[in-house]
Amino acid sequence: MDTGNTKVKRDFFFYPRIYAMIVTQSIKSKMSYRADFLISTFGMIATNLAGFLSFWLIFHTFPSINGWHFSETMFLYSFSLVALSASQIFFDNNWGLRFQLRSGDFVKYCFRPINLFFYFVSEEIDLKGIGQMVFGIVLLVYSWNNLSIPVTAGNILMLLVLLFSASLIMIAMMTAAAATGFWIINSGMVMVFLFKFKEYAAYPMTIFNRAFQLVFSILIPIGFMAFYPSLYFLRPESVSPVTYLTPVAAILFFYAAYKFWMRGARQYSGTGS
Amino acid sequence: MAEKKNLKSYLVLTKAGIMEAFMFRTSLFLNIIGNLAYMVVMYFLWKAIFASRSETSVNGMTFEDTLVYLSMAGAIFSSLEVFLVWKMGREIQSGEFALHFTKPLDYFFREFFYVAGNVILQTFTTLIPTFIIVGCLTGWKMPLGVNLLFFPVAFFFALLLNYSIDFIVGTMCLYTQSFWGINIVKEVIISVMSGAAVPLAFFPEVFRNVAMYLPFQAIYNLPLQILISRSMTTVDYVKAIGIQAGWFLVLMLIGRLFFRRSSKIITVNGG
Repeated sequence: MDTGNTKVKRDFFFYPRIYAMIVTQSIKSKMSYRADFLISTFGMIATNLAGFLSFWLIFHTFPSINGWHFSETMFLYSFSLVALSASQIFFDNNWGLRFQLRSGDFVKYCFRPINLFFYFVSEEIDLKGIGQMVFGIVLLVYSWNNLSIPVTAGNILMLLVLLFSASLIMIAMMTAAAATGFWIINSGMVMVFLFKFKEYAAYPMTIFNRAFQLVFSILIPIGFMAFYPSLYFLRPESVSPVTYLTPVAAILFFYAAYKFWMRGARQYSGTGS
Repeated sequence: MAEKKNLKSYLVLTKAGIMEAFMFRTSLFLNIIGNLAYMVVMYFLWKAIFASRSETSVNGMTFEDTLVYLSMAGAIFSSLEVFLVWKMGREIQSGEFALHFTKPLDYFFREFFYVAGNVILQTFTTLIPTFIIVGCLTGWKMPLGVNLLFFPVAFFFALLLNYSIDFIVGTMCLYTQSFWGINIVKEVIISVMSGAAVPLAFFPEVFRNVAMYLPFQAIYNLPLQILISRSMTTVDYVKAIGIQAGWFLVLMLIGRLFFRRSSKIITVNGG
C-alpha cells in the first residue's frame, strides 16, 4: 500500500474504510482453508445444538425452572446466542492477545497512527461465529412466534436495541478478561473462567440469591446477556427497571473495558528483544 | 530386562508431566476457584429445577445426588482435560509431528504416560477437593463404603478411554490439517452422550438406551454411578469396570490401527 506522502483524509469514513481493507485480507487468508471453515462452522452449530438438547432433556423430566417454561427458556437461550455472536465474530483476536504479548508480536500494533484497540480487533474476523448467529436468530424467531409475542415496530426496535446492548456487554467482559494478559501470564484461564459463565445466561436470574444476583449484574454481568433484556418481552407486566438500564450499563461496561485494555497496552514494554 | 528399562523411560515422561503441571501453579489455583464457583451456580440452578417437582427423588436421583453427580462430572472433565488433540493438531500444522517417528518409544504409550503425569496432579488439585467440598455441601448422603475403592479404578479407566478417543480424533487431524472443529464436535458428543451435561437418569428412555450402548457413558456415567448409586452391589461395580476395560481395548485397538495406517499417508510441511 502506498501511503508515502499522500495524506489520508481523516473524515467520518476513515475507520470504516480501513476496517473494510483489513477485514478483506483476513477473510481472504481464511478462505484458503475452506475445509477448516466448514468443520469449524459445523462444530459451532453442534455446540449450540448440544445446548438446545440439554435444555430439552431437562424439560423432558422437569416442568419448569422457577416458573419459566421450555419455550421461554429457549427465548433466553437464543437471545444469549445472538448476543454472544458479535464478540465471537468481531472481537476474536482477544483470544490471541496473550500469545502475541508473550512472543512480542504485539508491538506491531503500537507503531500505527490509528487507534490501537481498533487496529488490534479489526485484524481478526471469525467466520464460524456467523453459524452461531444464524442458529441463534432462527431459534429466536421460532420462540418469538411460539410465545406469540406481538410483532410491532416498537417491539422490533426494542429487540434490536437490547440485542445490541447485550452484545456490547459480552464484548466488554471478554475484552476486560483479555486485558488482564497485560499484567498476568494466565489470562487464558481468566478468559475461560468468564467465558464458561455464558452458559448460565439462559437461566432466570431469580434462581440465585441476592448476593449472586448482584455478582451477575455487576462483576460478571451475564444477567444482562439475556435475562434482564428479555423480561421486556416475556414478563411485560413485571419489567424490572434494570431492563431499561441495559443500554446504559452496556455503554458503561464497554467504556470501562476499553479504558482498562488501553491502559494495559500503554504500559506494555515488549519482550525486551 | 529390556522391558523394565522401557517402563522406566516411560515413567520419566510421567514425572515430566507432573513437573510441567506444577509450573502452572496459578492455573491450578484458578481451576479450584472456578470449579467452586460453578458448583455454587449449579447448586442454585438444580435447586430451582428440583423445586418444580413435588417428589424429592426424580428417576432415582435426589437433589443431593444430582449435585454430587454434576460437580464430580465437572471435576472429572477438568482433570482429564489434557489437550491431546490440540497438541497433535498444532504439531501436525507446524510439521513438528514428523519428529515423533524418529523416537524409539511407541507414540501412543509415550504420550499417555506424559499426559498421566498431568492428570495425577489434577486429581489432587481438582478431583479430591471437589469431592470433599461437595460431600460437605450435601451432608455426605452418598454411600461411603467399598464403592470409594472402586471409584479410583473407574476414574483411571475413564482416563484411558478419554485418552484413546482423543488419540483417534488427534489422528484424524492428519487428514483435516485443522483441529478446532473436530475437537469441539468430539467434546459436544462426549458431554451429551456420556451424561456429563445432564445425568442419563433424566434422559427419555430411548435416548438413555442409545447412550448405554456407546462408549462415552463409560467415561462419566459409570464412575459416577459407582460413586452415588445406593443399589449397586460389588458384582455391579466389577461389571461396570469390566465394561470400561472392554471399551478401552476396542478404542485403543482402533486408535492404534488407524494411527499406523495414517502415518503412511502423512504429509509434512517441507522446510
